[in-house]
Amino acid sequence: MFKKILIANRGEIAIRVTRACQELGVSAVGVYSTVDKNSYHLRFMDDTYWIGDSAPGESYLNITNIIDAAKASGAQAVHPGYGFLAENASFAKVCEENGLVFIGPDSKALSLVGDKIASRNTVQKVGIPIIPGMQIADADIRGFTEMAAKVGYPVIVKASMGGGGKGMRIVRNEKELEASVQAGQREARSAFGDETVYLEKYIERPRHIEFQVLRDQHGNVVHLFERECSIQRRHQKIIEETPSTALNEELRHKMGESAKKVIEAAGYTNAGTVEFLLDESRKFYFLEVNARVQVEHPITEMVTGIDLVRQQILIAAGEKIKIGQNDIEQRGHAIEARIYAEDPENNFLPCPGKILFLNEPSGPGIRVDSGIYGGWDVPPHYDPILSKLIVWSEDRETAIKRMSRALANYIIIGIKTNLGYLKRVMDTEKFTDGNYHTHFIDENESELCMSKENLPEILALAAMAIAVSERKGTVVTGIDEAQYSTTPWQELGEWEICGH
Amino acid sequence: MQYQLSYLNKVYDVCVRQEKDEFIVTIGQKVFRLKDCAVQGHQVSCRIEDKPCHMYFVQDKDNYYLAVDGEYYVMQQASASKQGFKGAAASEANSIASPMPGLLVRMPVAVGTEVKAGDTLAIVEAMKMQNELRASRDGVVKKVNFKEGDQVDAFQAIVEIEPQRRQDDL
Repeated sequence: MFKKILIANRGEIAIRVTRACQELGVSAVGVYSTVDKNSYHLRFMDDTYWIGDSAPGESYLNITNIIDAAKASGAQAVHPGYGFLAENASFAKVCEENGLVFIGPDSKALSLVGDKIASRNTVQKVGIPIIPGMQIADADIRGFTEMAAKVGYPVIVKASMGGGGKGMRIVRNEKELEASVQAGQREARSAFGDETVYLEKYIERPRHIEFQVLRDQHGNVVHLFERECSIQRRHQKIIEETPSTALNEELRHKMGESAKKVIEAAGYTNAGTVEFLLDESRKFYFLEVNARVQVEHPITEMVTGIDLVRQQILIAAGEKIKIGQNDIEQRGHAIEARIYAEDPENNFLPCPGKILFLNEPSGPGIRVDSGIYGGWDVPPHYDPILSKLIVWSEDRETAIKRMSRALANYIIIGIKTNLGYLKRVMDTEKFTDGNYHTHFIDENESELCMSKENLPEILALAAMAIAVSERKGTVVTGIDEAQYSTTPWQELGEWEICGH
Repeated sequence: MQYQLSYLNKVYDVCVRQEKDEFIVTIGQKVFRLKDCAVQGHQVSCRIEDKPCHMYFVQDKDNYYLAVDGEYYVMQQASASKQGFKGAAASEANSIASPMPGLLVRMPVAVGTEVKAGDTLAIVEAMKMQNELRASRDGVVKKVNFKEGDQVDAFQAIVEIEPQRRQDDL
């Protein structure tokens, strides 16, 4: 087993990985950019290194600086988390060349599945259905025009290195094609440093269902069932649940076995997710392999009881998976809600800024994977994800009620978040009846709007609170200075004290 | 106590008076009776029209923040002494500001550029999302306050436009 692992990420996922490391008796090394010097993830690490300026390209995407930090720290392995360099094959390769174990698939498998075009070809060979579309990358717009005409509109343009909906555009006619390809390329370059995009047929009203797979270096492979991720805004997931209401036992088994086949065909080791689209006639199509720990991995952990990040580390260390397929069960129901710094009432526009007050929910079946604290200034440079709220309960109905309650008890004040919006999703029948697809957010826009009905009551409460606070002064006014002000220790910094 | 509370660019006149252990709040025709008020840190509990209610309340500078039943509200006091509030700059039609803080990634205009309503004046990126700021009317760029690569705050004027007078303008 490794003695020390460098975590090349920030926020909640850096903390999540740290927990798994420390429970295995492994030291966790954290990294941070300039703007992140007071970030929450650093409070959990055994050691921390500055890796560059605030822009992602200078720090969390800066391979040289990260490798230097790993070497300086004496780490034997690097965990990339999700996003940033997680699916970057050249990063995995540089790790390998520097004698560092990349916790994920090897660079060869990573470049295969990371290249969405090559992975489509591989998957097709083992008999898994794929969506009709482009098989070769072509930077020339004429290639796109021809292919779009061949598969028929609507089509979707996607970043080859992509994930999380970045660089993705739906195109309904030829007139929109060129602008969409260019916008996709621009976004892909900014998010992944590679502007390659490809095109495929767009399936209307699909459900997004993915299977979690683990494969060790000895060829043992298991799947840990599905996650339904159809609730998305701008092609980015906001709510995930497992089990999916769309699958019966037969389809679940078939998709799970297909997912394992995909992972084997790609020669892929470690934790991977095989994403499928399920159309209205319940036919499934391979979408892509996510070669990383997923944002939504906790719901799988909740229903199977298996710590996926620990499994990632064990597999990377060369150990065998000790769990057989028949030992893995889906018990109860789990839901995850992603808490974003954004304004749902204003096109989900990002809302970085200072968190004045924070209160996290608690109680049975509640898990909060968070990267924030009260008093922290959320920087504008990175993904708007703040934390993840995960609930478990015996069945779907009670899990939804639990999530709704927990969201109401989750208080973030100072910046706008999607907390209220997520609660409205939980409370709408369109969600609770389980019969939804990836356009849920767009199709229920008016129903998911914040209600103005009780505004007079809210104004009355505000006026009362203002009147009380004016009388009591500091009790409910302003940031709780005692809680959030810096201490002389923080001002001075332990490095200076220790004379480093 | 008389307050003018502004919420989502609308101003509401609210009157609060205390009678023994009750707060009586009047908003237009509506009267609310709030009692059993308990304050613990930022958490405020009470009964409003006999219905139990728990909320969180924070004041920071001119802003009042409330979290009630999972929803979040930001209000300001728009009293005579505090005319206007944050966000006013952005509503001026002759200057373009970003609704969110971020990085100015593109500015395809310069002083003297003629623009039409709907033209992109600047692209601001925050949290990996690009937001295009467009001209709300025809005109000529009078002033640019930032350059590409600069960090801009929310509601800071980025580009100022000299509006083109139309014949039907009074």
